[in-house]
Amino acid sequence: MEDLRKVVIERDLNPYHSFFASFFAGLGELGMLNQGSINIVAKRAAEYLYAYLDAKKILPNMNAVPGETKAEVIKNLIMYINKILTMVGEYDLQEAGEDQVVLLIAGKTCRICPKGVGGAEVKGTLCPIPSLLEALINRIAQKDMLELITTGIEKEGSTCKAYFKVLN
Amino acid sequence: MVPTISAQLDAILNKFERNVPHIQATAVVSTDGLVIASRLPKDVEEDRIGAMGAAILSISSRSGDELDRGNMNRVLVEGTNGYILIRSIGEYAILVALVEKEVRLGMLFYECKKCIEELSEIL
Repeated sequence: MEDLRKVVIERDLNPYHSFFASFFAGLGELGMLNQGSINIVAKRAAEYLYAYLDAKKILPNMNAVPGETKAEVIKNLIMYINKILTMVGEYDLQEAGEDQVVLLIAGKTCRICPKGVGGAEVKGTLCPIPSLLEALINRIAQKDMLELITTGIEKEGSTCKAYFKVLN
Repeated sequence: MVPTISAQLDAILNKFERNVPHIQATAVVSTDGLVIASRLPKDVEEDRIGAMGAAILSISSRSGDELDRGNMNRVLVEGTNGYILIRSIGEYAILVALVEKEVRLGMLFYECKKCIEELSEIL
Protein backbone atom coordinates (compact mmCIF):
# COMPACT_ATOMS: atom_id res chain seq x y z
CA MET A 1 0.00 0.00 0.00
CA GLU A 2 2.93 2.32 0.74
CA ASP A 3 4.21 1.86 -2.81
CA LEU A 4 0.79 2.68 -4.20
CA ARG A 5 0.66 5.91 -2.16
CA LYS A 6 4.12 6.82 -3.40
CA VAL A 7 3.12 6.33 -7.03
CA VAL A 8 -0.02 8.43 -6.55
CA ILE A 9 1.96 11.33 -5.09
CA GLU A 10 5.08 11.14 -7.25
CA ARG A 11 3.20 10.81 -10.54
CA ASP A 12 0.43 13.21 -9.55
CA LEU A 13 -2.35 10.78 -10.40
CA ASN A 14 -6.04 11.59 -10.62
CA PRO A 15 -8.66 8.91 -9.84
CA TYR A 16 -9.11 8.04 -13.51
CA HIS A 17 -5.40 7.33 -13.90
CA SER A 18 -5.56 4.90 -10.98
CA PHE A 19 -8.72 3.28 -12.28
CA PHE A 20 -7.54 2.98 -15.87
CA ALA A 21 -4.08 1.62 -15.02
CA SER A 22 -5.27 -0.88 -12.43
CA PHE A 23 -8.21 -2.02 -14.57
CA PHE A 24 -5.97 -2.71 -17.55
CA ALA A 25 -3.46 -4.35 -15.23
CA GLY A 26 -6.11 -6.73 -13.92
CA LEU A 27 -7.21 -7.70 -17.42
CA GLY A 28 -3.58 -8.19 -18.40
CA GLU A 29 -2.91 -10.44 -15.42
CA LEU A 30 -5.96 -12.55 -16.27
CA GLY A 31 -4.52 -13.00 -19.76
CA MET A 32 -7.38 -11.12 -21.38
CA LEU A 33 -5.26 -8.22 -22.54
CA ASN A 34 -1.93 -8.10 -24.35
CA GLN A 35 -0.04 -5.46 -26.34
CA GLY A 36 -1.66 -6.68 -29.56
CA SER A 37 -5.19 -6.27 -28.23
CA ILE A 38 -4.31 -2.92 -26.67
CA ASN A 39 -3.15 -1.71 -30.09
CA ILE A 40 -6.53 -2.65 -31.55
CA VAL A 41 -8.55 -1.24 -28.66
CA ALA A 42 -6.58 2.02 -28.66
CA LYS A 43 -7.75 2.72 -32.21
CA ARG A 44 -11.35 2.37 -31.07
CA ALA A 45 -10.66 4.64 -28.11
CA ALA A 46 -9.21 7.22 -30.50
CA GLU A 47 -12.53 7.38 -32.35
CA TYR A 48 -14.37 8.10 -29.10
CA LEU A 49 -11.84 10.68 -28.01
CA TYR A 50 -12.15 12.38 -31.38
CA ALA A 51 -15.93 12.49 -30.91
CA TYR A 52 -15.39 13.92 -27.42
CA LEU A 53 -13.10 16.69 -28.69
CA ASP A 54 -15.56 17.42 -31.47
CA ALA A 55 -18.57 17.55 -29.15
CA LYS A 56 -16.75 19.85 -26.74
CA LYS A 57 -15.61 22.02 -29.66
CA ILE A 58 -11.98 21.67 -28.67
CA LEU A 59 -10.72 19.90 -31.77
CA PRO A 60 -7.47 21.50 -32.86
CA ASN A 61 -7.62 23.33 -36.16
CA MET A 62 -4.91 21.67 -38.23
CA ASN A 63 -4.22 24.91 -40.10
CA ALA A 64 -3.51 26.64 -36.82
CA VAL A 65 -1.28 24.01 -35.21
CA PRO A 66 2.18 25.60 -35.02
CA GLY A 67 5.21 23.94 -36.54
CA GLU A 68 7.37 24.43 -39.60
CA THR A 69 7.87 20.73 -40.19
CA LYS A 70 5.48 17.80 -39.93
CA ALA A 71 7.45 16.53 -36.95
CA GLU A 72 6.90 19.85 -35.16
CA VAL A 73 3.19 19.78 -35.94
CA ILE A 74 2.98 16.23 -34.59
CA LYS A 75 4.90 17.27 -31.49
CA ASN A 76 2.41 20.07 -30.85
CA LEU A 77 -0.53 17.75 -31.41
CA ILE A 78 0.92 15.30 -28.91
CA MET A 79 1.36 18.17 -26.45
CA TYR A 80 -2.27 19.11 -26.93
CA ILE A 81 -3.53 15.54 -26.52
CA ASN A 82 -1.40 15.03 -23.43
CA LYS A 83 -2.65 18.27 -21.94
CA ILE A 84 -6.20 16.92 -22.17
CA LEU A 85 -5.54 13.32 -21.17
CA THR A 86 -2.62 14.01 -18.78
CA MET A 87 -1.10 10.65 -19.70
CA VAL A 88 2.55 11.43 -19.04
CA GLY A 89 4.60 13.97 -17.13
CA GLU A 90 7.92 14.14 -18.94
CA TYR A 91 8.28 13.20 -22.58
CA ASP A 92 9.84 14.38 -25.81
CA LEU A 93 9.41 13.78 -29.51
CA GLN A 94 12.65 13.78 -31.45
CA GLU A 95 13.48 13.32 -35.08
CA ALA A 96 15.08 9.92 -35.64
CA GLY A 97 16.35 9.77 -39.19
CA GLU A 98 14.58 10.45 -42.43
CA ASP A 99 10.82 10.73 -41.97
CA GLN A 100 10.96 9.14 -38.54
CA VAL A 101 10.32 10.41 -35.06
CA VAL A 102 10.76 8.79 -31.69
CA LEU A 103 8.57 9.40 -28.68
CA LEU A 104 10.55 9.26 -25.46
CA ILE A 105 8.65 8.95 -22.21
CA ALA A 106 10.23 9.14 -18.79
CA GLY A 107 8.74 5.91 -17.48
CA LYS A 108 8.47 7.08 -13.89
CA THR A 109 6.25 9.98 -14.92
CA CYS A 110 3.73 7.91 -16.88
CA ARG A 111 0.32 8.08 -15.22
CA ILE A 112 -1.50 5.33 -17.08
CA CYS A 113 1.06 2.52 -17.21
CA PRO A 114 -0.69 -0.75 -16.33
CA LYS A 115 2.63 -2.04 -15.00
CA GLY A 116 4.17 0.98 -13.30
CA VAL A 117 0.93 2.45 -11.97
CA GLY A 118 -1.47 -0.50 -12.09
CA GLY A 119 1.06 -3.03 -10.79
CA ALA A 120 0.48 -5.57 -13.58
CA GLU A 121 2.76 -8.54 -13.19
CA VAL A 122 2.97 -9.61 -16.80
CA LYS A 123 5.69 -10.27 -19.33
CA GLY A 124 5.95 -7.72 -22.10
CA THR A 125 4.24 -4.35 -22.28
CA LEU A 126 0.65 -3.13 -22.03
CA CYS A 127 1.11 0.42 -23.28
CA PRO A 128 -1.78 2.17 -25.06
CA ILE A 129 0.03 5.45 -25.74
CA PRO A 130 1.76 4.87 -29.12
CA SER A 131 -1.23 3.29 -30.86
CA LEU A 132 -3.61 5.82 -29.31
CA LEU A 133 -1.49 8.75 -30.50
CA GLU A 134 -1.15 7.25 -33.99
CA ALA A 135 -4.89 6.76 -34.37
CA LEU A 136 -5.97 10.03 -32.74
CA ILE A 137 -3.49 12.23 -34.61
CA ASN A 138 -4.47 10.64 -37.93
CA ARG A 139 -8.13 11.16 -37.07
CA ILE A 140 -7.59 14.80 -36.13
CA ALA A 141 -5.49 15.41 -39.26
CA GLN A 142 -8.14 13.65 -41.40
CA LYS A 143 -5.35 11.76 -43.15
CA ASP A 144 -2.58 9.26 -42.41
CA MET A 145 0.12 11.45 -40.95
CA LEU A 146 1.78 9.06 -38.55
CA GLU A 147 2.49 5.33 -38.67
CA LEU A 148 3.68 3.37 -35.68
CA ILE A 149 6.81 1.43 -36.59
CA THR A 150 7.44 -0.31 -33.30
CA THR A 151 4.76 -2.72 -32.22
CA GLY A 152 4.14 -0.92 -28.97
CA ILE A 153 6.56 0.60 -26.55
CA GLU A 154 10.20 -0.38 -26.04
CA LYS A 155 11.79 -0.06 -22.62
CA GLU A 156 15.33 1.21 -22.51
CA GLY A 157 16.39 1.76 -18.94
CA SER A 158 13.93 4.18 -17.42
CA THR A 159 12.81 5.50 -20.82
CA CYS A 160 9.95 4.12 -22.90
CA LYS A 161 10.37 4.58 -26.64
CA ALA A 162 8.06 4.35 -29.62
CA TYR A 163 9.16 4.97 -33.20
CA PHE A 164 6.84 6.43 -35.82
CA LYS A 165 7.10 7.05 -39.53
CA VAL A 166 5.99 10.53 -40.58
CA LEU A 167 3.87 10.13 -43.69
CA ASN A 168 3.50 12.59 -46.53
CA MET B 1 22.78 -17.05 -48.78
CA VAL B 2 21.05 -17.93 -45.50
CA PRO B 3 17.31 -17.28 -45.70
CA THR B 4 15.96 -14.63 -43.36
CA ILE B 5 14.09 -15.72 -40.26
CA SER B 6 10.87 -14.49 -41.85
CA ALA B 7 11.49 -16.64 -44.91
CA GLN B 8 12.30 -19.68 -42.76
CA LEU B 9 9.14 -19.22 -40.69
CA ASP B 10 7.07 -18.78 -43.82
CA ALA B 11 8.52 -21.97 -45.32
CA ILE B 12 7.63 -23.97 -42.19
CA LEU B 13 4.08 -22.61 -42.14
CA ASN B 14 3.74 -23.34 -45.84
CA LYS B 15 4.87 -26.95 -45.29
CA PHE B 16 2.37 -27.33 -42.43
CA GLU B 17 -0.43 -26.08 -44.67
CA ARG B 18 0.58 -28.39 -47.51
CA ASN B 19 0.76 -31.44 -45.25
CA VAL B 20 -2.68 -30.91 -43.74
CA PRO B 21 -5.55 -30.35 -46.14
CA HIS B 22 -8.15 -27.83 -44.95
CA ILE B 23 -5.81 -25.46 -43.09
CA GLN B 24 -7.00 -21.99 -44.10
CA ALA B 25 -4.56 -19.74 -42.27
CA THR B 26 -1.57 -19.89 -39.96
CA ALA B 27 0.30 -17.35 -37.89
CA VAL B 28 3.22 -17.25 -35.51
CA VAL B 29 2.50 -14.70 -32.82
CA SER B 30 4.42 -13.37 -29.84
CA THR B 31 2.89 -13.94 -26.42
CA ASP B 32 2.31 -10.15 -26.51
CA GLY B 33 -0.21 -10.75 -29.29
CA LEU B 34 1.96 -9.30 -32.05
CA VAL B 35 2.31 -11.17 -35.32
CA ILE B 36 5.77 -12.50 -36.15
CA ALA B 37 4.89 -14.37 -39.35
CA SER B 38 1.64 -15.25 -41.04
CA ARG B 39 -0.04 -16.86 -44.02
CA LEU B 40 -3.52 -15.42 -43.91
CA PRO B 41 -6.29 -14.94 -46.43
CA LYS B 42 -7.11 -11.33 -47.26
CA ASP B 43 -10.28 -11.32 -45.19
CA VAL B 44 -8.48 -12.25 -41.95
CA GLU B 45 -7.06 -9.28 -40.07
CA GLU B 46 -3.51 -10.02 -38.99
CA ASP B 47 -3.65 -7.79 -35.89
CA ARG B 48 -6.80 -9.47 -34.64
CA ILE B 49 -5.66 -13.05 -35.11
CA GLY B 50 -2.48 -12.15 -33.21
CA ALA B 51 -4.17 -10.41 -30.31
CA MET B 52 -6.98 -12.95 -29.98
CA GLY B 53 -4.78 -16.01 -30.40
CA ALA B 54 -2.43 -14.85 -27.66
CA ALA B 55 -5.32 -13.89 -25.38
CA ILE B 56 -7.08 -17.25 -25.83
CA LEU B 57 -3.92 -19.19 -25.03
CA SER B 58 -3.10 -16.94 -22.12
CA ILE B 59 -6.56 -17.27 -20.56
CA SER B 60 -6.51 -21.03 -21.14
CA SER B 61 -3.10 -21.40 -19.50
CA ARG B 62 -4.23 -19.29 -16.60
CA SER B 63 -7.40 -21.38 -16.24
CA GLY B 64 -5.35 -24.56 -16.41
CA ASP B 65 -3.18 -23.32 -13.56
CA GLU B 66 -6.06 -22.06 -11.43
CA LEU B 67 -8.12 -25.20 -11.90
CA ASP B 68 -5.17 -27.53 -11.43
CA ARG B 69 -5.18 -28.94 -14.97
CA GLY B 70 -1.42 -28.72 -15.35
CA ASN B 71 0.47 -27.28 -18.31
CA MET B 72 -1.62 -26.37 -21.33
CA ASN B 73 -0.80 -28.56 -24.35
CA ARG B 74 -3.07 -26.93 -26.87
CA VAL B 75 -6.32 -25.03 -27.25
CA LEU B 76 -8.86 -26.17 -29.81
CA VAL B 77 -11.87 -23.95 -30.40
CA GLU B 78 -14.64 -25.73 -32.31
CA GLY B 79 -17.11 -23.67 -34.29
CA THR B 80 -19.80 -24.61 -36.78
CA ASN B 81 -17.50 -23.61 -39.65
CA GLY B 82 -14.24 -25.01 -38.36
CA TYR B 83 -11.56 -24.91 -35.73
CA ILE B 84 -9.03 -22.54 -34.22
CA LEU B 85 -5.97 -24.44 -33.02
CA ILE B 86 -3.49 -22.67 -30.76
CA ARG B 87 -0.24 -24.05 -29.35
CA SER B 88 2.66 -22.42 -27.61
CA ILE B 89 6.11 -22.43 -29.20
CA GLY B 90 8.42 -22.22 -26.23
CA GLU B 91 8.01 -19.36 -23.81
CA TYR B 92 7.59 -16.35 -26.07
CA ALA B 93 5.62 -17.37 -29.14
CA ILE B 94 2.51 -19.25 -30.20
CA LEU B 95 1.15 -20.89 -33.34
CA VAL B 96 -2.40 -20.14 -34.45
CA ALA B 97 -4.13 -22.12 -37.19
CA LEU B 98 -7.57 -21.62 -38.69
CA VAL B 99 -8.86 -24.93 -40.00
CA GLU B 100 -11.93 -26.10 -41.90
CA LYS B 101 -14.39 -28.48 -40.27
CA GLU B 102 -13.48 -31.32 -42.65
CA VAL B 103 -9.91 -31.68 -41.31
CA ARG B 104 -8.73 -34.95 -39.80
CA LEU B 105 -7.90 -33.85 -36.27
CA GLY B 106 -5.35 -36.64 -35.73
CA MET B 107 -3.41 -35.49 -38.77
CA LEU B 108 -3.73 -31.86 -37.70
CA PHE B 109 -2.33 -32.52 -34.21
CA TYR B 110 0.48 -34.72 -35.52
CA GLU B 111 1.64 -32.24 -38.13
CA CYS B 112 1.18 -29.36 -35.72
CA LYS B 113 3.59 -31.02 -33.28
CA LYS B 114 6.17 -31.39 -36.05
CA CYS B 115 5.62 -27.79 -37.11
CA ILE B 116 6.12 -26.56 -33.53
CA GLU B 117 9.39 -28.50 -33.27
CA GLU B 118 10.68 -26.87 -36.43
CA LEU B 119 9.57 -23.41 -35.36
CA SER B 120 11.19 -23.90 -31.95
CA GLU B 121 14.56 -24.39 -33.61
CA ILE B 122 14.34 -20.94 -35.16
CA LEU B 123 12.61 -18.88 -32.48
